[in-house]
Amino acid sequence: MAGVFVYSDKSGIALELVGCAKAAGKEAMVIVFSQEAAEEVKNSGADRVFILQGDNEVPENYAQAVADFLKEKSAELFLVGATARGRDLAARVAGYLDCPMASDVSAISFGDGKVTTERMIYGGAVTQKEELTGLSVVTVAGGKYAPIEGSAEVETVTVTPDNRVQLVERAPVERKGVNLQAADRVVCVGMGVEKEEDMQMIRDLAAVLNAEIGCTRGIAEEKHWLPPEQYIGISGAVIKPQLCVSIGISGQVQHTIGIRDSKVIVAVNNNEKAPIFKTCDYGIVGDLYEVVPLLIEELKK
Amino acid sequence: MSKIVACYKWVLDESDIRINSDLSVDFSKAKGKISDYDRNAIEAAVKLAEAVGAKPVGLTFGSSKARQSLKDALSRGLEEAFWVKAEEAENADGAVTARALAAGIKAMGDVALVICAEGASDTYARQTASRIGALLDLPVVTSVLRVTVEGNTVTAVRKLDDCLETVKFELPGVISVLPEAFQPTIPGLKAVMAAGKKPVTEYDCGSLGVNLVSARKVMEVKAYAQERRNIIIEGDNAAAKVAAVVSNLKKEGVL
Ligand SMILES: Cc1cc2nc3c(=O)[nH]c(=O)nc-3n(C[C@H](O)[C@H](O)[C@H](O)COP(=O)(O)OP(=O)(O)OC[C@H]3O[C@@H](n4cnc5c(N)ncnc54)[C@H](O)[C@@H]3O)c2cc1C
Repeated sequence: MAGVFVYSDKSGIALELVGCAKAAGKEAMVIVFSQEAAEEVKNSGADRVFILQGDNEVPENYAQAVADFLKEKSAELFLVGATARGRDLAARVAGYLDCPMASDVSAISFGDGKVTTERMIYGGAVTQKEELTGLSVVTVAGGKYAPIEGSAEVETVTVTPDNRVQLVERAPVERKGVNLQAADRVVCVGMGVEKEEDMQMIRDLAAVLNAEIGCTRGIAEEKHWLPPEQYIGISGAVIKPQLCVSIGISGQVQHTIGIRDSKVIVAVNNNEKAPIFKTCDYGIVGDLYEVVPLLIEELKK
Repeated sequence: MSKIVACYKWVLDESDIRINSDLSVDFSKAKGKISDYDRNAIEAAVKLAEAVGAKPVGLTFGSSKARQSLKDALSRGLEEAFWVKAEEAENADGAVTARALAAGIKAMGDVALVICAEGASDTYARQTASRIGALLDLPVVTSVLRVTVEGNTVTAVRKLDDCLETVKFELPGVISVLPEAFQPTIPGLKAVMAAGKKPVTEYDCGSLGVNLVSARKVMEVKAYAQERRNIIIEGDNAAAKVAAVVSNLKKEGVL
């Protein structure tokens, strides 16, 4: 059984990846690790769903079992959703198979015993096209392909997981539900803001603009002033608003990759050499503590 | 004394990359640096080694250019550096990189824990920790936000897309740490001076038996085209600059 084997810990992405493989005329098989997960993908239009059944709750612990299974099935590609878990499982499978892998690709096409992929390198400044020969692993983020429908036969295979890493506990993290991707206007804030209470000024600006608030990684992950789903960039969200107002952000490419689909970008930074001024349409060189209150005043007029 | 190994990569600084008008990429002016997040991995190795009385060491797979990285890495608190050398390292994919690093880990011996960063600032492929773990068949924990070692037991909190997951395993093993888990410190003058005297071991890929052949071929490298107007509003009067921008935004129809 050649064909594309799909896995994602997020069923929604697994459905999309089946859509991707079938659109390319490939046989598509979905791998899951539980009966419940099988239920969620059995109408994915896949040719078959395989439950790799073992007594372990951490999907990554099935890497060796998945690698063996792919070999046994003469798989041509292991196509995995690019989530934290998916990337880990995918890379471990690639390690056990000692085969090529392309991470977080933006495009994939199938050739004879080969796949060609495209991905960003250097933080998004450069795209690289690669060709992988033989059994390969590719990860793709959600939202790129359309799911299809159709029922699939479900088959259970008993496997032995790796029990060396043991689960102690899981604490769900709540998402605040800010929909940055759909926002028409976004105020983006960076480490130029000195104190947490100064974020009020940013909220005020967002309010007069009727905008959502995004930020750079440091504001979310180091300062914890905003939740992680609000940071923008290569490892965060990608936005495409009509207007993006960037405040106190240096404009390094890992961040600007996330704002560069905006229609108009305005930047405020007190360093005229900041790279954000090369990425914006309108730039104000100045102290954000002076400029932001003036902006709020002007917009209220 | 057993070792805690920080893996790091000597990369080109992306801010030095020049884009030509035909979208080809000019790397010739780019200086090297230790990949940003690898500095956090080095910090993790130093801090964890201190806590458990192990020896923090650095390991890199790199071409002759990576020689410049050794002193920098050692100034960050590592006690010894290991360098798996091959000119092919500059274009190596995840498979070749992991083979070389795994061979280095085997060769140095007595390794308790291998620490990688989340991803390198050039490729950001996020494969290395998982691949090394698989090649050496060691337990792996990625996306680590907090980690403690007690005796032989490692307890780690992973930050995943929708949960914090606490796991544990017995050494030896491999982890990858998130950048926010350990903040790198900037080495002082004394640390920089001392770094030059610390031991460095070079391994040749040939004698380690590393297979440098990859089934991945790079077909094309092209710059991303960024077209922006870059209108910087000049003047000393902030209020006037703000008014000018707002009036432009109104004309653009985005307000
Ligand atoms: C592999 C990798 C992945 C990454 N992924 C992401 C990502 O997804 N998202 C992300 O955001 N980052 C990411 N980064 C980090 C990124 O490279 C930058 O470090 C980060 O975006 C910088 O954030 P910043 O602009 O807020 O902070 P800084 O770079 O510290 O910039 C602060 C800016 O504020 C300006 N400033 C200071 N005071 C004032 C003032 N009073 N008025 C006006 N301006 C002021 C300064 O001039 C400076 O330009 C990643 C890095 C790597 C290596």
